[in-house]
Amino acid sequence: MSDGSSTPGPDGFRIVGQRAPRPDASDKVFGLTRYADDFAMGGMLHAKVVRSPRPSARIVRIDRSAAEAVPGVRCVLTARDVPHNVLFSDVPGQTTTVGPLRARTQVLADEVVRFLGEPVALVAAETEEAAEEGARGVAVEYADVPGVFDPEAAMGPDAPRLEPTGNVISRWKIRKGDVEAGFREADVVVERSYRTPFIDHAFIEPEAGVAWLDENGVITIRVATQVIEHFRDVANVLGLPHSRVRIIAPYIGGGFGGKEDVTVEVFLGLLVWKTTRPVRLCYSREESILSPTKRHPFVMRYKHGARRDGTLVALEVELISDAGAYAYLSPLTLLYGMVHAAGPYRIPHVKVDGVSVLTNNPPTSAFRGFGSAQPAFAYESQMDELARALGLDPLAFRERNYLRKGERLASGQELETAVWLPETARRASDALGPRRAPSGPGKRVGRGVASALTSYGRIVWLHDWASAWVELQMDGTVLVRTGVPDIGGGQAASLVQITAELLGVAQADIAIHIGDSALTPLAGTTTATRQLYMSGSAVHKAASELRATLTAQAAELLAAPLEAVDLADGAALRRDAPDRRVAFRELAAACARAHRPRSAFAIYQAPAGQVMDFETGQGKVFPDFTFGSQAVDVEVDEATGEVAVLALAACYDVGRAINRNSVEGQMEGGAAMGLGYALLEEDRVAEGVTLTPNLMTYLIPTALDVPDVTTIVLESGEGMGPWGARGIGEPAMVPTAPAIANGVRDAVGVRLTRLPITPERLWRAMQEARRP
Amino acid sequence: MRSIELTLNGTRVRTTVEPHETLLGVLRQRLAATEVKSGCERGDCGACAVLLDGRAINSCLALAIQADGRAVTTVRGLGTPETPHPLQAAFVELGAAQCGICIPGMLVTLYAALAAHHDASRREIREAIGGNLCRCTGYHKIVDAALAAARRLLESRPTGAPS
Amino acid sequence: MLLPRFEYRHATSLLQATTLLAENPAAQALAGGTDLLVDLRERRRQPPMLVDVGDLAELRGIEAADGATRIGGGVTVGELLASPLVTARLPALGAAARDFADFLTRNKATLGGNLANASPGADLVVPLLALDTAVVLAGPSGERTVPLDAFLLGPRRTAARAGELIRQVVVSRHGGRQAWYKLGLKRGGAIAVVSVATWIALDLSGLVTDARIALGAVGPRPFRPREAEALLIGAPLDAVHVARAADLAAAAARPITDVRGGADYRTAMVRALVARCLDPTGGG
Repeated sequence: MSDGSSTPGPDGFRIVGQRAPRPDASDKVFGLTRYADDFAMGGMLHAKVVRSPRPSARIVRIDRSAAEAVPGVRCVLTARDVPHNVLFSDVPGQTTTVGPLRARTQVLADEVVRFLGEPVALVAAETEEAAEEGARGVAVEYADVPGVFDPEAAMGPDAPRLEPTGNVISRWKIRKGDVEAGFREADVVVERSYRTPFIDHAFIEPEAGVAWLDENGVITIRVATQVIEHFRDVANVLGLPHSRVRIIAPYIGGGFGGKEDVTVEVFLGLLVWKTTRPVRLCYSREESILSPTKRHPFVMRYKHGARRDGTLVALEVELISDAGAYAYLSPLTLLYGMVHAAGPYRIPHVKVDGVSVLTNNPPTSAFRGFGSAQPAFAYESQMDELARALGLDPLAFRERNYLRKGERLASGQELETAVWLPETARRASDALGPRRAPSGPGKRVGRGVASALTSYGRIVWLHDWASAWVELQMDGTVLVRTGVPDIGGGQAASLVQITAELLGVAQADIAIHIGDSALTPLAGTTTATRQLYMSGSAVHKAASELRATLTAQAAELLAAPLEAVDLADGAALRRDAPDRRVAFRELAAACARAHRPRSAFAIYQAPAGQVMDFETGQGKVFPDFTFGSQAVDVEVDEATGEVAVLALAACYDVGRAINRNSVEGQMEGGAAMGLGYALLEEDRVAEGVTLTPNLMTYLIPTALDVPDVTTIVLESGEGMGPWGARGIGEPAMVPTAPAIANGVRDAVGVRLTRLPITPERLWRAMQEARRP
Repeated sequence: MRSIELTLNGTRVRTTVEPHETLLGVLRQRLAATEVKSGCERGDCGACAVLLDGRAINSCLALAIQADGRAVTTVRGLGTPETPHPLQAAFVELGAAQCGICIPGMLVTLYAALAAHHDASRREIREAIGGNLCRCTGYHKIVDAALAAARRLLESRPTGAPS
Repeated sequence: MLLPRFEYRHATSLLQATTLLAENPAAQALAGGTDLLVDLRERRRQPPMLVDVGDLAELRGIEAADGATRIGGGVTVGELLASPLVTARLPALGAAARDFADFLTRNKATLGGNLANASPGADLVVPLLALDTAVVLAGPSGERTVPLDAFLLGPRRTAARAGELIRQVVVSRHGGRQAWYKLGLKRGGAIAVVSVATWIALDLSGLVTDARIALGAVGPRPFRPREAEALLIGAPLDAVHVARAADLAAAAARPITDVRGGADYRTAMVRALVARCLDPTGGG
């Protein structure tokens, strides 16, 4: 295994593609990593959030006197104490104002609460115990007002309105061809409704942070966040210049989109600003599940038409997403859902309509997949049913209809990079081996496959960019600085690996500073599966520029032509005479003497695109997609409805695997999350009340629920990222749920169209199917 | 307030605790053992797992006062960068940690499981970590690493005593 | 969320523990704490005092004596799982121990705690019911023995009086054909949706001489469907009798609908799982 300094392997890389141990792995296994709540400041206050126990109510009165009287309580804040009590969910860095995308919520509710758990007050105290007692002491009088808890009901004319303009906050449409004509040509029509539930991110680290006023009066917030750019939001709330707020993201214990919107940082900022003392806030698990944000429930009505020859001819889709009590990123999520709705298939006539609706349910927003996972459950279930209706093998039917490179999505976007879907489906399916026999009487085994496309990189008309700084230090080691939050996917490690590859330096000799809005060049959010592409490209650009400078300097020192100079083993050397070398330490000194920069700062700007035509839903939306498939073998207990996943194989074209362990790890972890989505997870909400408030009732997969996952990594080299890399974070969890649903269908002949497929639901469906 | 004395990763420490304080709370806030993570505070996630007199337990469900006169071992007591435990070395080598927040508890549990059952199978390893939730990895590389460590332990030090 | 405040007493003898509990009727005994501390954190219980009985030697031990198996109230679920005696004589209990929560919880949770908690789906209670168990209660002035069936009164209610601790359970049955099945919503650490334990004694000609069926999570407390048991006695353990016994067991179930499952599903599962326990080859 390479440490980055030795000569390239057969694929031309020194360390890219290797199973290089991550630089952050060591601290993690020795218990040395300091996460957001592993940090304390002297004189630190402990904060608690007071939340509404009602899903829909007017705030009649707030009496904070009892809270303020608790010994140790230093501060009780309500809406009136917030200078600018509004948070916008603009996508950071967007330079185009698009009306439907601007969403707002309050920091603390002033007149009305719209969901159970909505923050109403903040308490800060000397001890956690006093803070809890103080929080209990804030007396809020509520007057219930009628709420609405179903998006379709919320669209009705008499539904209670969460916004004066109505509950529909977003509508999109896609029109391609003529679906009426298309369905007339169809020999087979499959029409079904699909439903997916609220899902909780359930990262093992709850939302947390510690904030303080530094020696320059800067409100410094060290917080578990996927977005350090929230410093702007906090500054805006406080009415401060942006430079008076600094956000630091330490290594984060999981994000998955749940730490993408503002969570604790604004509360911390407020309390520090008010008290001037350091403040700590850490959510309980129950708070984490109750508080924003969740994955959107989707109701999806799908109608496919296909010809006898196995080609798809028409598709009509209606998507209804439950935006919960506040819009957050619901409009964008729905847009993603729209573009992904038809799946990776060639369909001449397509009509998609989507609507996102406010309800008094928990607010929904970003969650791994961001609106692409729900449609995949629907369209891959549909593909299976269509294959059955046509009497075709499910894989063969898909192969007949997969889009190819150069063809266009229903939204008009051309697939400009390799589309290796047929191969991913075949390889995943083959990896399962021969069909398994049931483990005993009353058990049935089934096999399911699903393919998907998932975008990576930000919407093209948002003009995404990322920046990075790479420096050769005077001691010959290298320093990388970039504002990437590392949420566990190896974001920082990949950048170290890229730098090691380009500069010929061992990973151990590269230090990286990440996630500091004041001190590291901004790289944008760790969301949208964009970091490997964006910050990877920025680091690649900066390191390449530095490489050019260093080789030029070395060429002078070694009296060699530029092309004869290589960087390897922490030195510059002549390719034709490797013993003629200049160690990096000397090279740094030489650059300094020659007044040559030893560092490079680079901004990578993603190719920008025009805003799509919202009337027709046509236009390029995403920079690119990742294509992949998963195959599963499931065993159903016919008597109980229990489903065991016996084997799971995942195959993706990742463009280029920078760190092989990280790529596989995402595929394995994504499949596990998808398995949870398929069989276990539901944040159950009834009349706005969450019934699954902890990890005993909200079930995420354990080591006994997830089988060994076989991962097959393909590399077309055609991604947008460094050396043709694509993103894998979100794509990794998308095909699992439909693959499992298809496996269940194969096993017991029953199609479940609602997630999760619990034993009881499957049992009921099997009972229903047996009825004459 | 009661004064208690315990051994933390081999070092004698003394502190004062109130009866209602959990071992997890005191470890993190009083004894600077922030390597012990809090994920749910009710025994559902295993992130807070420590060894109490050699037994792997959820420290959120133990009272700090119950640790008086006992030995507590956290992930830092299993090994150090200078002398890593085979489990820690395998986790690094095989890429078993992603965000890492579940790892301290996971390693403590695996240490205890392998100590009791040197020759654990993949299935048995999964059973041992059934109460250690991980949201990132899908457990696959964790099981791989545990198995690799078990093999190394069998080859070199069959008792698998902590370093 | 912090635990509420309480006084803490560490008991060093059974007499001291029971005396303290008798003198402080609102106090709770703390053994493994895996249920109690969660109840405290969530304010379902707020005892002014906890008496820690986790170190009492009198509550330990697993032994075979006079044809019965005696298990101390302080024995942990992990110790049950590891006990060769339990594995050999009480495999249904061993299987329930294996399905109990997870490895970490099993290291702490105790048999006495599980019984005293009297949850409708208490995993250890169900096989113990099927194996004719008596509960030895120790109080400050002596001991008394209560059949497990009479010990359980309802959800979270037992026949223990103030000051009494579960010192030991005496399991009368062993061997025979024992079976256990727990239906949970996931494979690691789930709470039972329905659980079933059975114990069957057969004579040499294959007729059932004695039968016990115990059901969990389908009523206010685990219980035995007596009619179902009676049907089996004297009959061959064939598909017809198994099915009829399963039907009777289902008829006796009184499940509720809650976040883990619907009542009718649970009833159907009683039928399926009783059949499966009685005849594993039947595919039921």
